[in-house]
Amino acid sequence: MTAAAGGPVAVHQFIPTLNPHDATGTHTLMLRDALRAAGWQSEIFAEAIHDDLAELAYKHWMYPEHAARGDVAIYQFTTSSAVAPYLAEHGMPLILDYHNFTGPEYFDGWEPLSVQRAARAADELALLAPQAVLGLAKSRFSEEELRGAGCRRTAVVPVLADYRRVTAAPDPRVAAELTCLRAGGGADILFVGRVVSSKAQHELVKALWAYRRLYDPRARLHLVGGTSSYEYNKALLGFVHDLGLTGAVHITGEVSDASLAAHFAAADVYLSLSAHEGFGVPLVEAMVAGVPVVTRGAGAVADTVADAALLLAAADPTYVAAALHRACTDDRLRAVLIASGRRRAAELSGDTVAASLVAAIAAVVGRP
Amino acid sequence: MTDTEATMPADPQAYLDQVMAEIADEVRARRASGDLPPKLERELDELFLAHSPVAGRGGDLGEALRMVDAATFIDPVVPIESERAAGAVVKKGMRSLLLWYMGWVTHQMSQSAAAVSRALHIVDGRLQELERQLEVQRVPEAGVVEFPALHGPDAWWVEPAVATVATAHGRILHAACGDGWLVRRIVSAGGDAYGVDPRSHVVDRADLGPLDLRAEPVAEHLRAAAPAGLAAIVLSGTVDGMAGGERSQLLSAIGTRLAPGGMLVIHSVSRAAWDGADAPAGADLAPGRPLRPEAWCQLLEQGGYEATTARPGPTGSDFLVTAVRASIVTPYPPAER
Repeated sequence: MTAAAGGPVAVHQFIPTLNPHDATGTHTLMLRDALRAAGWQSEIFAEAIHDDLAELAYKHWMYPEHAARGDVAIYQFTTSSAVAPYLAEHGMPLILDYHNFTGPEYFDGWEPLSVQRAARAADELALLAPQAVLGLAKSRFSEEELRGAGCRRTAVVPVLADYRRVTAAPDPRVAAELTCLRAGGGADILFVGRVVSSKAQHELVKALWAYRRLYDPRARLHLVGGTSSYEYNKALLGFVHDLGLTGAVHITGEVSDASLAAHFAAADVYLSLSAHEGFGVPLVEAMVAGVPVVTRGAGAVADTVADAALLLAAADPTYVAAALHRACTDDRLRAVLIASGRRRAAELSGDTVAASLVAAIAAVVGRP
Repeated sequence: MTDTEATMPADPQAYLDQVMAEIADEVRARRASGDLPPKLERELDELFLAHSPVAGRGGDLGEALRMVDAATFIDPVVPIESERAAGAVVKKGMRSLLLWYMGWVTHQMSQSAAAVSRALHIVDGRLQELERQLEVQRVPEAGVVEFPALHGPDAWWVEPAVATVATAHGRILHAACGDGWLVRRIVSAGGDAYGVDPRSHVVDRADLGPLDLRAEPVAEHLRAAAPAGLAAIVLSGTVDGMAGGERSQLLSAIGTRLAPGGMLVIHSVSRAAWDGADAPAGADLAPGRPLRPEAWCQLLEQGGYEATTARPGPTGSDFLVTAVRASIVTPYPPAER
């Protein structure tokens, strides 16, 4: 398919699950607005829809009620879903907006169902990629996967995200609690993400243990995010207890935007040792909040942070502890990371990305 | 000029590279000082593994059955302690009120769980019988087979191997490490190296000092290592006598643990040397035979490695294969177990 004048009237989006507070849900809603602003009709169809967004989307099987000749579908590929075979059978021109997904090997031994689901996602990617007229990847890392799966035409455009939530007014109660903790001294290390084996929070705990032993005995680790893995969460809690770090590791569960802003405002450094990241929105949020980033370069992380973070080649505790020490105590390094982080975050922020996405889509399907 | 401009180096990436190099120096100094002995890092790994589910500890069916047995009985008599005044009385009243109902339900659930447990024990018994029957056909795991003239600090391939991996940014693994002769060389050349070897008597005998040497098989070690956590891997005396399936499992594990762009270096003896009269007895006892250099190159290229080269040794007794892990190859490698 090539760009042509008088392109499709409607460019609809399909997504496995539409949630209000996750990266792909936000991306999908912002892209819908951008598509509408560009002149296309655009609706969202999903296999599952969060109650708060019930008015904004339709179940995917309701698409025939809205279908018109010449429609184009954008599939927000995040995980295995009934939407994938539905689109494959439907045969409409398909744009694959690929967010990457965590491979089965990262759940092995922890979540048998997640292993199966990830394996199915791989099959669905192999099914859809060759059919897609365009593959939109969030990073060069994901672009290579798309091409490997058979996608012939690809473009790299980052995630659309609303990073303003981390600079909004912080929750005063949470801010007061964190200030109270800081009064006792010691660095505050922050990670934001679901508690799940692929995010490797246990590596963060090991790093904290080493950091406290070698450099800063009063340092704290804040793990912000809900969990989708009971087994991993239980193991993490047991591990923290065994290491005597119960008072130093704060596991918050899911938090509000205001609470998240308070955590970013209080953090000395943002540390990620994830084994896999398809993009890493919290990394950019840390940059927006002016928090130096230290991260392992797994998955697409190196593409996301570019030269605006300390990029670790390994997650072994001594190495991470040494990097943390440097990021917490070297004023020049902190200033460089904060300044380059803000510059990188600006490159990845809303308006620029939305325009790039619309341009990439129009280049293939034509303007409305 | 703004404060930011005053702070920002002319080349930020070069500045960060310099910082990372200084951090690597600091790590080496810390390791050498013994501030955080390798033993402690290993104990951290083992401690976390102890909390992982049964599958994460190797999928032992007997242990799983013990957990099932322990969870089979469901107690309908809930605890009634309370921090609130009269709370215990209220809870006791509710318990008395509901016990006949909950007891009836939990009795059936316990019976159901016990039936499942009995079935699993029968399956376990049959599996054990099958394993006994299969044992006679089992292909033994290959041990470490070292040739005195080819596996040591004076071997011809040591310098090129060290030169290939020493500049890698991250941890470098050598297997089989023996007493750490190659690990020591790589560390001296600036690399952050450690080693594993299944021969615990060799590792235990070694003069460790700051060296990180671990007595465990390389495949087992890699299964427990973090994905993409290694910058380079050197194999010597390890792969030569492996049977096909064991070699395939090892390469699969390496494929997920070696970071994209990471170096894989394999030293292998030739078939002629393997079959020579002066070969060690381990060569006879091994389940497999060494691959030829061409076979290694083909195997690695099919497995997603680039820049594969094979360099023959001066006497034709051995060769050195080097390869670079491609940035993206097989995103979904086959399961390792």
